[in-house]
Amino acid sequence: MTATPLFVAEGITKSFPGVIALDEVRLSLEAGSIHALLGENGAGKSTLIKAMTGVHPLDSGRMLLDGIEYRPKVTREATSRGIGVVHQERNLVPRFSIAENIFLERLGGAPLRRVVHEKLIADAREWLDVLEIDADPSLPVERLSVARMQLVEIARALSLGSRLLLLDEPTASLTSHETDALFRILRRLRDDGTGLMFVSHKLEEVQEICDGVTVLRDGRNACESRALAGLGRQDIVRLMIGRSEIIPDWEARDRSDRETVLELENVSTPLGHKGVDLAVHAGEIVGLYGLVGAGRSELAKCILGKYPINEGRVSIRGEPVEITSVADAVRRHRIGYVSEDRKNEGLVLMHSVLDNVGAPIWRRLANRFGLLGDGTVRAHTLPFIEKLEVRTPSLAQSVGNLSGGNQQKVSVAKWLAAETAILIVDEPSVGIDIKTKAYLHELIRELSDGGIALILITSDMPEMIALADRIVVMNDYRVTGEIANTRQYDAMSEQIMALIQG
Amino acid sequence: MSGRLRDSDWFGPFLVTVLAVVTVTAFSPSFLSPFNVQILLLAISVNAMVAFSQMIIIAIGQMNLSVGAIGGLAAIAFGGMMEVWGLPWPLAAIVALCIGLLAGLANGVLVAMTGISAFIITLASLSIYKGINLGITEAQPFYAIPQAVKSIGNDTMLGPLPWLVLPCILVAVGLWYALERLSIGRAVLAVGGNAHAAELSGISVRRVTMIAHAVSGFLAALAGIMLVARLQIGQPTIGDDWLILSFAAPVIGGAVLSGGRISVAGTFFGVALVAIFTQVLVLFDIDPFLVQIVLGALILWAVGINRYREVRARRQLGVAAP
Repeated sequence: MTATPLFVAEGITKSFPGVIALDEVRLSLEAGSIHALLGENGAGKSTLIKAMTGVHPLDSGRMLLDGIEYRPKVTREATSRGIGVVHQERNLVPRFSIAENIFLERLGGAPLRRVVHEKLIADAREWLDVLEIDADPSLPVERLSVARMQLVEIARALSLGSRLLLLDEPTASLTSHETDALFRILRRLRDDGTGLMFVSHKLEEVQEICDGVTVLRDGRNACESRALAGLGRQDIVRLMIGRSEIIPDWEARDRSDRETVLELENVSTPLGHKGVDLAVHAGEIVGLYGLVGAGRSELAKCILGKYPINEGRVSIRGEPVEITSVADAVRRHRIGYVSEDRKNEGLVLMHSVLDNVGAPIWRRLANRFGLLGDGTVRAHTLPFIEKLEVRTPSLAQSVGNLSGGNQQKVSVAKWLAAETAILIVDEPSVGIDIKTKAYLHELIRELSDGGIALILITSDMPEMIALADRIVVMNDYRVTGEIANTRQYDAMSEQIMALIQG
Repeated sequence: MSGRLRDSDWFGPFLVTVLAVVTVTAFSPSFLSPFNVQILLLAISVNAMVAFSQMIIIAIGQMNLSVGAIGGLAAIAFGGMMEVWGLPWPLAAIVALCIGLLAGLANGVLVAMTGISAFIITLASLSIYKGINLGITEAQPFYAIPQAVKSIGNDTMLGPLPWLVLPCILVAVGLWYALERLSIGRAVLAVGGNAHAAELSGISVRRVTMIAHAVSGFLAALAGIMLVARLQIGQPTIGDDWLILSFAAPVIGGAVLSGGRISVAGTFFGVALVAIFTQVLVLFDIDPFLVQIVLGALILWAVGINRYREVRARRQLGVAAP
């Protein structure tokens, strides 16, 4: 038998009103290893992290740290026992220096203690050296790139003496180059004996860097702390969703002979797009594929009139147009945009379903005195809300109380009600469970059959291959190529990857 | 270094203050006469307390609408205790300061414990504190202010420097030191900059909120007491017109209302600028009601500069402005 594992969780159960978030979950983690925690959204990963860091007390089960009982009641207890977390959202004070952010903990406690900045800076330099960050510790963190901010957070966790570091989707907003640099550091930390737990949705990364894996599904272990070696991508996916990832058995379509609804020719924008050509035909789904930061959502926002276009031509149904504002795009050109950021850009969460779906058509429906009754809005929106099967107790329900999938349906219903001719859908299945995702895919396919020209932006390769008729690949704010979708996953993904790197 | 100086929050208001002094003196040399300087410094000293009182709440990303009401309550308490109870003035001042501290603390406790926004809490307490003030005074001033207090409020200690400059300097230096070099001051700025991060780092957001409001109440009370000394009368209306200035000066000094970013020196020069403009209007015999318009223009100028800096910084980082 080997030495005691660094961390062990046994029979962890945690329930919230109406749901069992964690059900008898087990996990064991060795010092000097990188352990992946995987699962679909809602599988219980965040709850487990919160249980480990003392945010949520356990209902039952126990945790051992170095073989000693560990039962944190507040986060500070977790920190003092050597468990550090790097959260998904940035937890830095923007105007404070790198040094002060690393040692933010020192500000708690006695209120009148002196803060000696010179000492903080000297101490911080040590940690920056450990992580090979070449930056002046007195620089405010707001001047750093996202990747470096992340490293500052890691430095903070390490400075607290963390022997177990929990990383919640650390690569979500990093470029591939930054990810490589981060992985180099994580590997070194591992070799120095730190235990790391890595939560990510990017399976390629997990396979690249992790040694062991625990998969959660619906709050239970789908597998417990097994070695990653020998597990293929399909095996992991099968563990996560209970079956292997299936590209629906739809026919490949070619709609490029139909009317060209939207066409961009040699378009450049102040955001950095150069010479972008793009055509979308009626009833066609054109996929925009690329890594995060390739400029896809930004291009969508230029088409939508949020940002101007410097050079080149935009035509709608053959007519050259100049889209001057989002209102212009929505009302005159009937362009709709389902944002990847539902909560901030797509929906007004505290408003009702009816108000959200009706917002784009208020002006059109109002009578000549500018008056608008609920009845009128209802008549024009209800058919779409019903068609998309939005599950809501009533139209007066605030959207914030609906599930992610239903929120997404409300976003789509909104644009259908607006009689959108061109719909841009950005990362439609973020935060949506696998069943709703399949339904959403059928819906998008149906919309295109109804004649809407669709632009689909997604970083989810299977989703792209399931839905798109044509795939346009972008890299660094340029279009690097275009392929007709044959629906053969392996062949397609290879071609797309080649175009990204090309 | 020159770039850093130019980018620091206080440098802009400082430059404009110097420019204003030079320009006005060129047109009217009497602007720098000892008497005029004394009047100017008296106004700045009191108004700086008002501005600092709001600044400390802006620092944690909240607002305190009751600054004026607390100042007024402390002022009439100070006057009333001396006239009605015959308390010696230092004792009355200490009690009045305690009243301000407690009034601020009450705001802080309510905000921290209920989670209701400070805007609403202090809107309510503004009404309550003002009501207590009017209930006590029945809108009549206290006239019996001891000679000692009157001379503190109007005499000079050195050249044209009035005595009231002393508390102003002490508070300014004290605040600067606390915000830069004491853990509580850094915690205040951390809570304003990112409350979530502060909480996760073991900083008690509740405690910081309560302390900041208590300090705010204390400074508002100090401003009220200083104003009683200067006006030589315990006016129940003291504090009624503080609100705009209390926000204007910190904002001119580079403060961001969402918190985490304030400048003691910038706020001070914001106060100085407003005082100078007010004086100028009197000096050149212009309608003093124009002050309001000038104040509004100053605020727009200051936030315009801040916005420009922000956009420029983002452009340098290669990201679009939101």
